[in-house]
Amino acid sequence: MLDIRPVFFINGFLLLILAAAMAMPVFADLAAGQNEWPAFAAAAFCSVFIGLALIFSSRGKGEPVLHTREAFLLTVTSWVLISLLGALPFALGSLKMSIADAVFESVSGVTTTGSTVLHGLDHAPWAILMWRSMLNWLGGVGIIVTSVTLLPVLRIGGMQLFRMESSDKADHVKPRFSQVAWGVLGVYSLLTFLLVGCLLAAGMTPLQAICHAMSSLSTGGFSTSDQSLGAFGDGARWICVIGMILGGGSFTLYVAPWKRGQWGLFRDSQMRWYLLTMISFALLLTFWNWAVRDMGAYEALRSSFFNVVAVLTTTGFHTNDYDTWGGFAEIAFFMMAFVGGCTGSAAGGIKIFRYEVLFAMVRVHARRLLHPHGIFVIRFNDMAVSNLVLRSVLTFVMFYFFAFAGVSVLLSMTGLDDVTSLSAAAAALGNLGPGLGKVIGPGHDYGSIPQAAKWILAGGMMLGRLEVATVLILAFPGFWRE
Amino acid sequence: MLDFRPVLLVTGLALTVMALAMGIPAAVDAVHGDPDWLIFLASSGVTLFLGLLLAAANRTGSRKQFTIRQMFLLTVCGWTAASIAGAIPFAFSGLHLSSTDAWFEAVSGVTASGSTVLRGLGHLPPGILLWRALLQWLGGGAFLLMSVLVLPELSIGGMQMFRLESNTALGDRVMGRSFQVAGRMLVVYGVLTVVLTLLLWAAGMSRFPALLHAMSTISCGGFSTEDGSIGAWHKPAIDWVILAGMLISGAPFVIYLHMMQQRWGQVLRNTQLRWYLALFLLSALAIGLWLLLTHGVKPLPSIRHGAFTAASVLTGTGYATLDWGSWSGLPVAVLFFLSFVGGCAGSTAGGLKIFRLQILFTSARVQLTRLLRPHSVVLPTYERKPVPDQVRESVLGFLFVYCLSFAALSMLLGMVGLDFMSAITGAASALGNLGPGLTQAIGPMHGFTHMPDSAKWLLSVAMLYGRLEMFLLLVVFIPDFWKT
Repeated sequence: MLDIRPVFFINGFLLLILAAAMAMPVFADLAAGQNEWPAFAAAAFCSVFIGLALIFSSRGKGEPVLHTREAFLLTVTSWVLISLLGALPFALGSLKMSIADAVFESVSGVTTTGSTVLHGLDHAPWAILMWRSMLNWLGGVGIIVTSVTLLPVLRIGGMQLFRMESSDKADHVKPRFSQVAWGVLGVYSLLTFLLVGCLLAAGMTPLQAICHAMSSLSTGGFSTSDQSLGAFGDGARWICVIGMILGGGSFTLYVAPWKRGQWGLFRDSQMRWYLLTMISFALLLTFWNWAVRDMGAYEALRSSFFNVVAVLTTTGFHTNDYDTWGGFAEIAFFMMAFVGGCTGSAAGGIKIFRYEVLFAMVRVHARRLLHPHGIFVIRFNDMAVSNLVLRSVLTFVMFYFFAFAGVSVLLSMTGLDDVTSLSAAAAALGNLGPGLGKVIGPGHDYGSIPQAAKWILAGGMMLGRLEVATVLILAFPGFWRE
Repeated sequence: MLDFRPVLLVTGLALTVMALAMGIPAAVDAVHGDPDWLIFLASSGVTLFLGLLLAAANRTGSRKQFTIRQMFLLTVCGWTAASIAGAIPFAFSGLHLSSTDAWFEAVSGVTASGSTVLRGLGHLPPGILLWRALLQWLGGGAFLLMSVLVLPELSIGGMQMFRLESNTALGDRVMGRSFQVAGRMLVVYGVLTVVLTLLLWAAGMSRFPALLHAMSTISCGGFSTEDGSIGAWHKPAIDWVILAGMLISGAPFVIYLHMMQQRWGQVLRNTQLRWYLALFLLSALAIGLWLLLTHGVKPLPSIRHGAFTAASVLTGTGYATLDWGSWSGLPVAVLFFLSFVGGCAGSTAGGLKIFRLQILFTSARVQLTRLLRPHSVVLPTYERKPVPDQVRESVLGFLFVYCLSFAALSMLLGMVGLDFMSAITGAASALGNLGPGLTQAIGPMHGFTHMPDSAKWLLSVAMLYGRLEMFLLLVVFIPDFWKT
């Protein structure tokens, strides 16, 4: 029997946090002397009301216990609920956004995608700018905690590799919101403060510094300017590069203990591949820009590094209109949208560790073709990868590609052209943000696409953020059967 | 130490077949009075000499089975040698093609892709036109043989599901039975070609183009004798016949053997066939509706054009009645993904193949069940048989390598100067042995004439790589292969 009380309870609790977070934009509003706060107050009131209603309706005896199915339901409902309530300030505020726009913006924020329907950000109310970055920040910490505590237990896409307890077949889900989760939260906040400080030192105003710190560390990508980071100087750009790289790395490793005189971070193969991929793509594009497109050497290096890091970590900041860098650059950026960051990070996409596992598998497969009776072991970080893990990784990748195909065909039905629909689907599923082309490329926004496309994309972002299978399973008849 | 003799023997035999085939266009050109007949005769002589030399020098006499490595190597060498031999007449004929163009045209023919660098097809000498169709026809037949004899034995991308007996050893008995089945399939292939020729003739084509189109259709190739592809005839009857031909050649040929033996139950129970037809109907409907609603095409023609385009892209033929390269929006998205799918395993079509998609879906269903009930024991099944773990891994590995190759190829194409859509659709189409891309520049009615040479090399290697189901070629390049 599905016990929805814990689902209600935790959702209610999360809504209270959301309401508390709405205080930040109110402060920003007061500081700016604008009149945006009533919208936030109303939204906070709604959240508190619904949150308390959920909590009290589900109060029962004993501690709430989550089983597998409840955990799936919780993950999906909480993200959807928070996105919907997070949309309220957009819809109620002075910008008078339509429901589709408000939900799109909010989903894009919470899933740390960073696609925006807003234009003229430089003159937008402070409270709105702050709320967008706040959503990024909350979504970032939300996904890190989810991927550290829930996903491994739910065995989504091979995440069981990162499970902390040793028992492999635990039926009981006890999200250990314990040491690790608190540690991650601490590091995340600390890094945010550091980034704010650095960005202030680099010459940003306090609002800009806070917003960019929050949306770069969460790999969200909401900016305070239409030109994104293109509007800022060198210092701010490189600091954001560091923020994005940190945001796309494994947060569990940042709090990993020292072992044998070495920090876990440096022994992790995923981290190495992450940096290696980033540097190779960045150098490749630097070379392309310098040799083929006659950019100056430093300019080529600077813009290639920034934009490659922004796309690979699925942040979605940009400094240039990299869409005009020619065929190769466009294709490279399109493919990078499928890579993504590390597990246990705020980044989206397929993620580096899955590629590691897949590559190892292909190597083994090729050798098995030659030696049909040989026995080969696939390793990840010096651990043998079991068949179960391997299969869930493969299934994940498959779901991902099918979702990509489905979303892009749906988008093309709304009348978008092919480059737009393909790149928008990839960018939404990978939680990246900007797509390619004249409509939604870097420097443009999603304001002009049809309403239906916005809803489809919002769905795509959610699907990508929750690692596809988590959402699909709710549509699986077996889920509701006793 | 690897014994190269069987490899060279088979390569020699492949060359001999090519040489004999060159005799046909030589004869046709001679009758027609075109000076190219001498070129064909000379190429045939050289190829025949080389082929016989290789074959005779490497006869081992013993009837020992091939080892796995020999099978890998002989398939790769056979296809490469055939492509090179196929390029000779193009390079020296009156067309004056560069070596790049000649190689591109030959590979595109042998792999049954159907991308062409030639323009003004209507005015070409009959020998060249016949040679292009023959290349595709031979290539299609060879691929059919390969999918029965080689791919299942080597366990390429889950093809071990199609082993005739569960016995994994290369026993004499199994091989004997495989040869029998392969022989019957070739007979079916030949008969279908003749039937299609007659139907096309009846539908209003003259005899020569009817034969050529029948050969290119049944091999899922797609070389036409007109620049405007099938659309140049403006005859619905021809469209329908070719459409039926494409669907027939993209279906698993095993079902025709069953039909011959009146085992209708086997045909109806073939799930791969069902999926194939369902996918075809769905995409035909989507494209037909799009044509009806946005292009103002009348209902009946829109059904015909929609179905024709869907079948052409799904089976990797590449014929066109309308220039689908110049479309945009919904049909491009649909056709782009269809070009990855390809036809059924055991047909002449390229791409990922329907049965791999089926195995992907059944593993996905099993995986979802597992997520909910970690202790449950659920087996994925295909055609009511359980799918072993190794097959699932092969299939999923195949899919991954396919996507990776696609990504790498499109980036390389971008580097040599293609635009975004041309690069990605061109890459997908070359890997899937479809031929034309989905943009104006490389669409079905335009040809690859103006591509840079580097792009032609990349695309032609990709076609060969796709036809060899990737792993056949990849394995030869891993160091382990050469270790003793």
